[in-house]
Amino acid sequence: MSARAENLLGRRLALLAILLIFLLPVAWLLTTAWKQSSQIFSIPPTLYFTPSLDQFRSAFAFFDIWSLVKSSLIISVGSAVLSLLLGVPAGYALARSRSRLAVGTAYFFLAIRMIPAVAALIPFYLLMRDIGLLGTWWAVILINTMLNCAFVTWMMFSYFRALPPDMEEAALTDGCTQFGAFWRVAVPSARSGMIASALFCIMFAWNDFLFAMFLTRTDAKPISVALLTAYGTQDITWGTLGALAHFSTIPIVLMALVLNRYFVQGATNGVQ
Amino acid sequence: MAEIVFDKVSKVYEGGGHAAAVRELDLTIRDGEFVVLVGPSGCGKSTALRMIAGLEQITSGELRIGGTVANNLAPRERDIAMVFQSYALYPHLSVRDNMGFGLKVRGAPAAEIDRKVAETAALLELTDFLDRKPAKLSGGQRQRVAMGRALVRAPNAFLMDEPLSNLDARLRGQMRAEIARLQKMSAVTTVYVTHDQVEAMTMGDRVAVMSRGTIQQVDAPRALYDRPRNLFVASFIGTPPINLLRGTVVAEAGRPALKLGPWSLDLTGHRSARSLEPGRQVIAGIRPEAFRLAADGLPAVAAFIEDLGSTLLLHLESPEAEVVPTSAAERDAELDTVRPRLRVVVDGTAKTAVGERLRLACDPAALHLFDPATGEAL
Repeated sequence: MSARAENLLGRRLALLAILLIFLLPVAWLLTTAWKQSSQIFSIPPTLYFTPSLDQFRSAFAFFDIWSLVKSSLIISVGSAVLSLLLGVPAGYALARSRSRLAVGTAYFFLAIRMIPAVAALIPFYLLMRDIGLLGTWWAVILINTMLNCAFVTWMMFSYFRALPPDMEEAALTDGCTQFGAFWRVAVPSARSGMIASALFCIMFAWNDFLFAMFLTRTDAKPISVALLTAYGTQDITWGTLGALAHFSTIPIVLMALVLNRYFVQGATNGVQ
Repeated sequence: MAEIVFDKVSKVYEGGGHAAAVRELDLTIRDGEFVVLVGPSGCGKSTALRMIAGLEQITSGELRIGGTVANNLAPRERDIAMVFQSYALYPHLSVRDNMGFGLKVRGAPAAEIDRKVAETAALLELTDFLDRKPAKLSGGQRQRVAMGRALVRAPNAFLMDEPLSNLDARLRGQMRAEIARLQKMSAVTTVYVTHDQVEAMTMGDRVAVMSRGTIQQVDAPRALYDRPRNLFVASFIGTPPINLLRGTVVAEAGRPALKLGPWSLDLTGHRSARSLEPGRQVIAGIRPEAFRLAADGLPAVAAFIEDLGSTLLLHLESPEAEVVPTSAAERDAELDTVRPRLRVVVDGTAKTAVGERLRLACDPAALHLFDPATGEAL
């Protein structure tokens, strides 16, 4: 074996080892759901067991899983749509602004995404209570939109900034209005940026626990909150928790796998 | 189709200090005319073009397109078509949709769009590429699509902002002729911006030479070359650039003559002769091809020879003549050489070697005389 091939093999093995360390908690969580309750805490832990659907049965018995997933979907997709509707035009306006304050304003929007969730939660709770949206999907959609549209604004700002204005100017001379140039030329050109933004919005909202915990009631509860209730129904039902975690993890992992190039684009966009 | 008139038009960029990008521009572009705006970068030529398009606000003065004051018209209300240096093709649309975009936005019926796009594509030999996206085209094809997008609309005017500068030299030469042909065929008023004086000289009916936001001279290409109005135009137009030499007007046996170092040239009958009193300091401009090798004349030594095939470009040192650098760029570049050299173009068959002592003569009629203080032609 040549030195070069050996080198490559060594690197692959090192990568594999690191990967295993990262995947271990996930594997642990998932295998928990496929074991019998008696095997979950067996010492030493076993990796060889006969798969069982018992934990899924009890998960379905205790929880209306489809309704939980539906809530999660409505909240994450709803807030992503709203965030894009507000954030894309805002980012475009900032990117094309000739004001010296434009860049600072864009970073101010990024800073909004960084405020501690709890600090936003308290006034938002009172606000939602007063306008009667507390306990509904809308409350969670709106608070996620508030934070995520600031993020989308910043992200689309950097996307549109990287886009030469010539194409929009060509559209203007071709007969478009300012809005027409934005809608027909700038928006399609920034498609991948919009997909990346939407993915991040969906991910943030899907994984959100705190807002949903305080702002929803049973009928609007998403799966992230339900995971905690599995923790306290009778005792700590780890197996049920593991089964439920499947439904919370798999959709977002699938999305990341299928659309990973947009995630990478989104994550590296500011660096270019 | 329309006449375009700049009436004392100025542009000052916000935050750009006090310097105006364009200063009190007066220029009338006649209906159907091909006018080239040429000048070094930052001279305001692109700003002037973008003001016609409506992409830049006009600070003061009046711009009229087809008799209508256009200062506050939106670009789409001016009905002009622009070709950008970057081509600015819409990346998400096919060639067909790129070309038909302007017609579609203006609500033309689909059948008419199809017909016009097909006609224009045939004219530009783009028919086979109509369903491709711009990313799948070569540079030359993209350039033709950008042209097609403008041609398809039959607008009031074509505006072209350095449309050939992203092409390689061979293609640029072809497209130069092609654009000039298309413009004559369509007879649409055209304003063409370039920093390339070859494009300026070969394409335009008239050429406006700009520098520092003002027009230095507007004239037919030949007239710019033969009768430059000032030192800037004289040194900007012409490749290789004109030679500038400091000299003094003298009277020799009652006849006006120009003394350039040890060499004197009889100015009798020269167009500027009347305004030349003896003792006056002048800058003389002599084109490289106006010089000829002679038995008697300005002494010079060949320092460097470029063989261009049909001609030789001689770089000569003439210690006895006072050679003036022709441009700011040259002034900087000349810092590391001893002094500016003379450039002389001679026939390719001439037998000359580096280090050879030569004598240069020139026909006094080919002499351009300028005032050293104002730079204006005498």
